[in-house]
Amino acid sequence: MNKELEHQFVTELENNQNIVHKVCSLYTNNRDAHNDLFQEITIQLWKAYPKFRGDSKFSTWMYRVALNTAITLYRKSKRRPATYDYDSVVYKISAEEYDPTQEQQLSLMYSAVRQLSDIDKALVFLYLEDKNYSEIAETLGISEVNARVKMNRIKTKLRTILNP
Amino acid sequence: MLDELDLLKKDWQKKETNLPRLTYEEIYKMIWKKSSSVVRWIFYISIIEFLLPHLLYLIPSFRNEMDYNFAKSLGIDNWIIALTIVQYAVAIYFIFQFYKRYREISVLDDAKKLMNKIFRTRKTVKHYVLFCLAMVLLIFGVFIVGMALDDNLVETLNLNNQNVAPDQLKWLLIGVMTVAGILFTGLLAGIYFLLYGLLTRKLSRNYIELKRMEA
Repeated sequence: MNKELEHQFVTELENNQNIVHKVCSLYTNNRDAHNDLFQEITIQLWKAYPKFRGDSKFSTWMYRVALNTAITLYRKSKRRPATYDYDSVVYKISAEEYDPTQEQQLSLMYSAVRQLSDIDKALVFLYLEDKNYSEIAETLGISEVNARVKMNRIKTKLRTILNP
Repeated sequence: MLDELDLLKKDWQKKETNLPRLTYEEIYKMIWKKSSSVVRWIFYISIIEFLLPHLLYLIPSFRNEMDYNFAKSLGIDNWIIALTIVQYAVAIYFIFQFYKRYREISVLDDAKKLMNKIFRTRKTVKHYVLFCLAMVLLIFGVFIVGMALDDNLVETLNLNNQNVAPDQLKWLLIGVMTVAGILFTGLLAGIYFLLYGLLTRKLSRNYIELKRMEA
């Protein structure tokens, strides 16, 4: 791997790191685990980078590698304590748009999403990232129809978690 | 009623500014770190599993038990040689298969295909381990049959100055060998399936969920 490739990769990842952070925030509960998963995704992205031909956007390609790492390849690190310390860190409330009721509802929504299974989280993540059903289906290896059906089930599940 | 997820989606896309931000140097350092992915673990553990049956020969007591001269005196030496050749041939085949499948694992596949390939790779090792367990049992079996058919077993082993009747001693030895064979195979199987289960627990759960979606 030459210097130029390293530089190109790190620059691309630096510019698109939000995608990876978002995946990490969905699949981990604390800062250590977040960093651990971020590192593993970075390693996987870098290993696969020579195969990235630029026929798709770097960010599109990242979704697949990042989710595959989170769902399949990542093994939880031992140093992970079982506490939640995220809500205060990542999901800070922007003061100018503060709306107590809506904020409370959103916070409930986020914690509901966290209770979903790994696969359900992947679907929700891609949905929140505004991917269409054909992209969601392609990333997970399921049919588009099933992606839609599954998404509707998740919506119902979330509703049940929110209004028990 | 407004779709809750769409409300979340709007908020999600505003969150960008609140996410952590790593510098170029921090990311650069990360690309040289070692991966601790399940695939890497599977690779290392599989190598150990491939080597384990061969490493056992390094343990003196095991080597003595499977002593070639003992086999020779029982008249089963040709059987043992034949079984060893088969074992190595099959091991080479499995290692080749394993490597081929391992190379096919790509993080660029879709989630289901990726999981499927990991399981296929792991299955190669599983079949190899089952084969080895069968071989271990078979080798014990050959020894036991050899011992049972040997009319002068006690003399063969130079044990005839004991206070026990030779015939009784012979069956005792066969009994010990049988129990040892079963316990040893059981122990190997236990270690293997424990490792296998621990390694692929999360993977299995997610794979089953994806497959169920398509059912």
